[in-house]
Amino acid sequence: MPKTEQALELTDYGRQDFAVCLGCKICASVCTVNDLSPGTNPQEMLQRLFLGQDVAADEPLVRFCTGCYRCTGACPWEIRIPEVIRALRHELGTESPFEKAFKGSVSLFGRVYEPYVLMKAVPFLLKGGYMKHVTRWMEYVGFHLPHKVKGM
Amino acid sequence: MEYGYYPGCSLTGSAHRLDKGIKKVFAKQGHTLREIPDWNCCGAFEYGDRKELTGFSKRNLEKARGHFSEIVAPCPACYKNLKEADEEREFAVTHPLDLFDEAFFAAMKQARDLTGQVFTPYYGCILLRPKETAIQNTNIMEETIARFGGEVSGEAVKDRCCGGNQIFINKDVTEKLSRLVLDRSQGTIVVFCPLCHMAMKTFSGERKVVYYTDLLLHIMGEGGAL
Repeated sequence: MPKTEQALELTDYGRQDFAVCLGCKICASVCTVNDLSPGTNPQEMLQRLFLGQDVAADEPLVRFCTGCYRCTGACPWEIRIPEVIRALRHELGTESPFEKAFKGSVSLFGRVYEPYVLMKAVPFLLKGGYMKHVTRWMEYVGFHLPHKVKGM
Repeated sequence: MEYGYYPGCSLTGSAHRLDKGIKKVFAKQGHTLREIPDWNCCGAFEYGDRKELTGFSKRNLEKARGHFSEIVAPCPACYKNLKEADEEREFAVTHPLDLFDEAFFAAMKQARDLTGQVFTPYYGCILLRPKETAIQNTNIMEETIARFGGEVSGEAVKDRCCGGNQIFINKDVTEKLSRLVLDRSQGTIVVFCPLCHMAMKTFSGERKVVYYTDLLLHIMGEGGAL
């Protein structure tokens, strides 16, 4: 089974659900990713999913979708494209070190314990040029011990 | 009135100011916030498997069962996930912005006004979309600012995306999108979402970024200048 098909199984959608797409491209006209990569068209991706074709991990929409739901808000069928993309990312294994650390914390504590996440993501943060923002983030600093959720 | 309170992970950490602000505002109005016992993470936007994501919030609702009928969740991601997980509408999962109604302002003790100050009320995405979980009054922040004499800016960008949820994935994405909002607005940026706060704060330069609760507390006479 292609990965795109497996990804759809993680959502509330099946391939046939995209048959309702009218091809109006209103999603493309409001998509935030167009501010980053002009020419992005979620409708074209829906069409490929409907046809059972592949979607690649390095496509701008898959890489940069911010989950803003502007597409859903504009779509006559209110198709939740961000949730489809999230499933594609999951299936294509495109998690960033930060996302892995986030999930690691949830597995370990049942909650996101920020000191743990930051510690795990340090190499990524150093390499990614995040340290120059640290002075702007001082108001976020606080310390508390992690809470372990029972049964998680 | 007593509400069940779901702070979520960021309000126990980097968004501690929003947590304190909400608690203070509610206390001043005579309301009690009681935390859902042993709550777990809602999964935010990080899980591609819809059932897995919903499962987190279903656990939280299970823990709230029998204790609360109305649950307040300030973080927009937590609020959306909790509300969507409550498929049978067993609880009233409410965002605090929907509780700041006419009765709230009528009971509010005003100590300051906002005359001569310019604000950009910035909602971002999840408070406004998808419509099933959107807040009721999508002008509440500008109405508050205007009510107390402040000037409102940035109406055209209030619902644009700041790219906050990409900040620790593709920082350049967040910078570009946040700057689009910042360049088309003026004055102090007023937000409710912890991710919007971080995105705006990172790139706002000299401009201040405050939570809506900071604004309310300022009007009520708490603290110094905004």
